[in-house]
Amino acid sequence: MNPPAAATVTAHRGFGLADLSFRQRLGTFYDMSKKQIIEFSRYPIAFVAIFVQIFLIIVMFMFATLAFSGASGTAGQGQLAGVMVYGFLVSMFLSFTLWEVGFSVREEQIRGTLESLYLSPANKFNNLMSRIFAILLFAGVMCVAAVVFVGAMVGGMPLENVAFALLVLALSISGFLGIGVIFAGVTLKLKETAQFLVSFLQFFFMIFSAVFFPFSALPAVLRENISRYLPVSYNVDLFRSLLINRPPELMSVASEFYIVVAFGIVSPIVGYFVYRWIERQARAAGTLGEY
Amino acid sequence: MWTPARSLWRGRVGEVVSHGLGLAQPGWRANLEVVGTVIVARLKIVARYKGVLLMEAFLPIVFAALPILLGVSIAGGPENAATNFLNATGTENYALYMLIGASTFMVVSLMLWLVGYWLRREQESGTLEALYLVPTRRIYILAGVTTYAMIRSLMAFLIAIILGSLIFGVNPFSGNVLMAIAFLGIGLLPMWGISFLFGAFIMKVKEANSVISLMQWVVAFLMGVYFPVTVFPPLLRFFALSFPPTVMTDGMRGSILALETLYGGWYVNFAILIAMAFIIPYLGYETFLRMERRIKRNEGVGQF
Repeated sequence: MNPPAAATVTAHRGFGLADLSFRQRLGTFYDMSKKQIIEFSRYPIAFVAIFVQIFLIIVMFMFATLAFSGASGTAGQGQLAGVMVYGFLVSMFLSFTLWEVGFSVREEQIRGTLESLYLSPANKFNNLMSRIFAILLFAGVMCVAAVVFVGAMVGGMPLENVAFALLVLALSISGFLGIGVIFAGVTLKLKETAQFLVSFLQFFFMIFSAVFFPFSALPAVLRENISRYLPVSYNVDLFRSLLINRPPELMSVASEFYIVVAFGIVSPIVGYFVYRWIERQARAAGTLGEY
Repeated sequence: MWTPARSLWRGRVGEVVSHGLGLAQPGWRANLEVVGTVIVARLKIVARYKGVLLMEAFLPIVFAALPILLGVSIAGGPENAATNFLNATGTENYALYMLIGASTFMVVSLMLWLVGYWLRREQESGTLEALYLVPTRRIYILAGVTTYAMIRSLMAFLIAIILGSLIFGVNPFSGNVLMAIAFLGIGLLPMWGISFLFGAFIMKVKEANSVISLMQWVVAFLMGVYFPVTVFPPLLRFFALSFPPTVMTDGMRGSILALETLYGGWYVNFAILIAMAFIIPYLGYETFLRMERRIKRNEGVGQF
């Protein structure tokens, strides 16, 4: 093979003469994650804001329940708090994934740096993935804090099968990454509307994946025709049921676990191909940096 | 050669230049045109994103649905939920209570979001400094943006109330609707001031997204979107009662659901809201100007 032809092949992929070995990919991921962490550290109020926001949402819903329960205080509502808080934690990881992976592409578009990033001889997908790493770390810390805080408020929350629940959470996050990556692709196409699409997805899952309440609270028609077809519902249901130590509402533990595993594996793969497809279209149309 | 007239002329030039208007002396018609142009420009931009408008109308319905589903599940059925809710709040119409709260919250949230995000967007796209160079006073640009935010949030409010009422099967016209509209109308004026305050804060701290996200929930919490603020401990209740959106929501709920207001009578709520409508916009704009001056002296308004 003559050298100019080889050079054309690599240049065609947009990597110039860069060596895209595993080590280099790992390097890209590490450097971009570091960049994200440094960027986050420049905006300390963002940390505080997310932290306070989580507590406010939980407390607000706790107060809302008081008017319906007939109780005069939050003490002794551990089981209910468990349903709410554990469901909320799963949805928190989902929304962080959607906002960070998906919406950060939009930010790069607005700042005019997305096209520059695409001109760099680095793997674009690793760049995308690195965006979630930092926020997941902080989200983890916040989750622990939320459980401790609400536990103290209601006088203790159930906390069983922690190891199994963490495995379910890890698989759930993997599945959410797939959705986040698809969303990043959609952002390239929809641009401004993407912001509200994220909000819509967040609230869609909040309702139909019964984040703040048991599935039994949903009207049967919605539960049977929508909730049962959403993988996120099984993530929420299994994670919550394990920690509270009661049977899941939608299926048996084994069946829900299979769905969670399948979602955790298939979703990132589908997400990758969908993103690459939309990204190619945007590059061909020259609309990558357009907003 | 020095003459008194020449000195006066120099002084006047210095004065107008200090306002950043060059030699321009825009009259009220020109100023009104600036406000109108900003509103039309913003509306034209958002008209390109129809999905956004649709989402804004649906979000309050989702916000209302969450506590309703949670509450019915806790109470063990709609009848029990209605009885418990009646004992706690004075009305058994929990769906309408939540819908009014969530729709009013959307108005407040959009007012903050649109003004804060507009500033941040201008900073990020590098056009904020350019806006400072145009020969008009900032108040008119800000008035245009806040009026646009008001129009957009009222549209979302109306659609949410109508759609939400159909979905939840409640009648929003059961009480004193005119009084509720009056509360909404007067309540928007202090919101104008709060959005100025919020804009100043965004200019200073830069992080619009996180601040807006946080403020949304602080506002929702303080204004009692899902519950009466009487459940708060005394100090928090004091803050909540001094917060214009709380008074506005309370007045609207009191009018439509025939509830006793937090201040003991609709006229007290109304008087407090009118006082706030005079004080808060003034305070908000003054704070904005102070913050702007400080930022201009230091890092400059365009830095993010």
